[in-house]
Amino acid sequence: MTLEKIDETLLTLRNISFSYKMRKGDKLLIFDNLSLSIMFAEFIGIAGPSGCGKSTLLRIMAGLLKPDLGEVYFRGKPLHSPDPRISMVFQNPTLLPWYTVIKNVMLGLINEKELTDKEKEERARTFLDMMGLIGFENAYPAELSGGMKQRVAIARALVSHPDLLLMDEPFSNLDQLTAITLRRELENLWLNQILPISSIVLVSHDIEELVEICDKVIVLTARPSRIAGIVKIDLKRPRSRRSQEFYEYVDSIYTLLS
Amino acid sequence: MDPALLITILSATGYSWLRMLAALVISILFSISIGITAAVSKTLEKVIIPILDILQSIPVLGFFPIALYAFITLHPTIGPEMAAIFLIFTSQVWNISFGVYEAVRVIPTETLEVANFLRLSIFSKIRHLYIPASFPKIAANLPSSWANGLYFLVACEIITIGEAEYRLLGVGSLTAEFMASGMVLESIVALFFVLLFVVLMNLLVFIPMIRISVKYRFETYATEIPHAWFEKLVKPLTLPIKIIAYKPRFSESWRLGAELHSFTNLIMKHRRIIEVLTASTVVVILASIISIEDLINFSQIVFNGFSRLGILEPLTMLGYSLSRVFIATLITLGWTIPVSIILYEKKTIEKMLLPIFQVIASFPATLLIPFVMDFTIKLGLMKEFGALIIVLLGTMWYMLFSLRGALSVIPREEEELFKLLRISGLKKLWYLYLPRMTPSMITGCIVTIGGGWNTLVIAERTSLDHILWEVENPGIGKMMSIATTLGDIELLIATTVWMALFIVILNRLIWRRIYEIAIRRIV
Repeated sequence: MTLEKIDETLLTLRNISFSYKMRKGDKLLIFDNLSLSIMFAEFIGIAGPSGCGKSTLLRIMAGLLKPDLGEVYFRGKPLHSPDPRISMVFQNPTLLPWYTVIKNVMLGLINEKELTDKEKEERARTFLDMMGLIGFENAYPAELSGGMKQRVAIARALVSHPDLLLMDEPFSNLDQLTAITLRRELENLWLNQILPISSIVLVSHDIEELVEICDKVIVLTARPSRIAGIVKIDLKRPRSRRSQEFYEYVDSIYTLLS
Repeated sequence: MDPALLITILSATGYSWLRMLAALVISILFSISIGITAAVSKTLEKVIIPILDILQSIPVLGFFPIALYAFITLHPTIGPEMAAIFLIFTSQVWNISFGVYEAVRVIPTETLEVANFLRLSIFSKIRHLYIPASFPKIAANLPSSWANGLYFLVACEIITIGEAEYRLLGVGSLTAEFMASGMVLESIVALFFVLLFVVLMNLLVFIPMIRISVKYRFETYATEIPHAWFEKLVKPLTLPIKIIAYKPRFSESWRLGAELHSFTNLIMKHRRIIEVLTASTVVVILASIISIEDLINFSQIVFNGFSRLGILEPLTMLGYSLSRVFIATLITLGWTIPVSIILYEKKTIEKMLLPIFQVIASFPATLLIPFVMDFTIKLGLMKEFGALIIVLLGTMWYMLFSLRGALSVIPREEEELFKLLRISGLKKLWYLYLPRMTPSMITGCIVTIGGGWNTLVIAERTSLDHILWEVENPGIGKMMSIATTLGDIELLIATTVWMALFIVILNRLIWRRIYEIAIRRIV
């Protein structure tokens, strides 16, 4: 991969290696010489056997973890620490229980020095509206259901107008029905370009979920993870889970996994 | 230095340790029985918990009258020893009892259901469920109980009632003697031995027990206890403790087991009747032992004490004492908040400092009182200042460890969120650390203030042989100390009741409410 190409990508991981230090000085090798790129305006899914380091990969992309070897480039520049243009939604909503919903969302703007408090509140309200949470601004997280909490977390991730949204199994703690609705809404927001983001990376263990909303699914192998394959999903949206082609895509990912 | 003297110091330290060990064993047995009973029986819980609450609010030296009359009058030689063990027991037991009670209460419902489903008798529940479940809380409370006992060692080994003085062989009485006769080198050697014993006790008993206790926890998350660098040195020596603690059960070949099973089951079946019977028996026995005359005599003593004290005087004393405790607590908060955050964020500093903090924390600050006195007088400071130092030395450590504990359970995703949003420094303190520390800060304040009251009795006034140390202003602890030295039972009971009542009211009306509000907002 040449440097010009890095300029064309939104995020590039080049030849990264990463290991966790275990007790007694042992090392658990997670990635060995892994490279991948995320282009502009892409909805990427990441699948892999459990324990292969999907969440670790996401944290390297976020700048939370530093690879032992190799480089991470974001918009053509090396990424060394979290960047305001990269946001993340965790498996748990991770709202601060001592603040109201609107204050939790405004936390996403805390470092925006040029905005007044009033403007911050205005913008937080816009995103709460987008996530269907108008009327709950002054509620505390403890008063919300699991799905609503995750909506607040998504609003907080989007409020700073990031280019890249990283999602770490955001629907896995929700009940099926809530997960379906939230997934649909996210897809619609992204398709209609209401969201300010360019690309989304979604980590999930639910293969059908990935096939339903992603443009491309990167399948990882077991530790140390390599890319087992990249499946481009050429299906018209909204995708029906019952179609023949849908199952073919799901099967091809399962084949790569096993 | 004379080797004979060295042996005296060593054996005195050994004696003190045996005394404290006896008290600790009794404390553990007491805590297990009372804690489990309170947690299992809804009826008895309503009686036991308030009583424990009041007892823990009574300063250790407030138990003096009981110790004197119940034990010393019993036998001239064994009596004082029993009184000392009893006093040390009262300084060690309450936190362990509350620990067992909480541990048994928070056993997950599913686990209890499994036990019921297996139709375990109450006896095997105690053996296989309640005791192992309380093990972590007991282990966690042992170091602070031990430190607390040590704190009152001097006061327990020299018991003065009016003219009579009982001196027990021990490092507390020995150090006091050295100090009184100006033998500075000898007292420093004695302090050194105490320090050595404290370090060994922590390394060989307490730390291994806490490590083992991790596997008895119900929580799914693992909290790491950082390994201290010198733990490796003594690792082989901790083996016996590990062997004992790995199987905290009774031997399987307990013949009585089967019979006890059916017996305890019988008890559990007729629990209600037995509870009522026990209560009425206690009342009947008390009524038969205590004659009406005794009761009148006793109430006369109490009445005299209260009428002598009046109302304004104890309130002034309480006011002064309360402000001392408050100032000490504020100073404690002032340094423990930043230090606990530094320890949390900089693991390398923590690895170095934490074991040192733990050793200093378990060192009996009362043994330093002569030095503090010296220091205060030489610098020409107010004695109030010295009293503050004595209170601080005895109470400030709990806050540090509890704040540090609160920080270590901050969810990883919250930490990541703050890194992603690039929030650090004061903003992180305000938005994350302070809210996460608040519940521990409040319990820390309750414990620090409670401990503060306890230490006041020593800090406000101490007489070691000919040396008398007294704060300039009034204080409830000073009054209690005076009453004890004079052997004035009337006054002693009255001041103790005033103090305990004040603490209980403060706890119920203020601290507990603040705690509940904080918990509601944060969880």
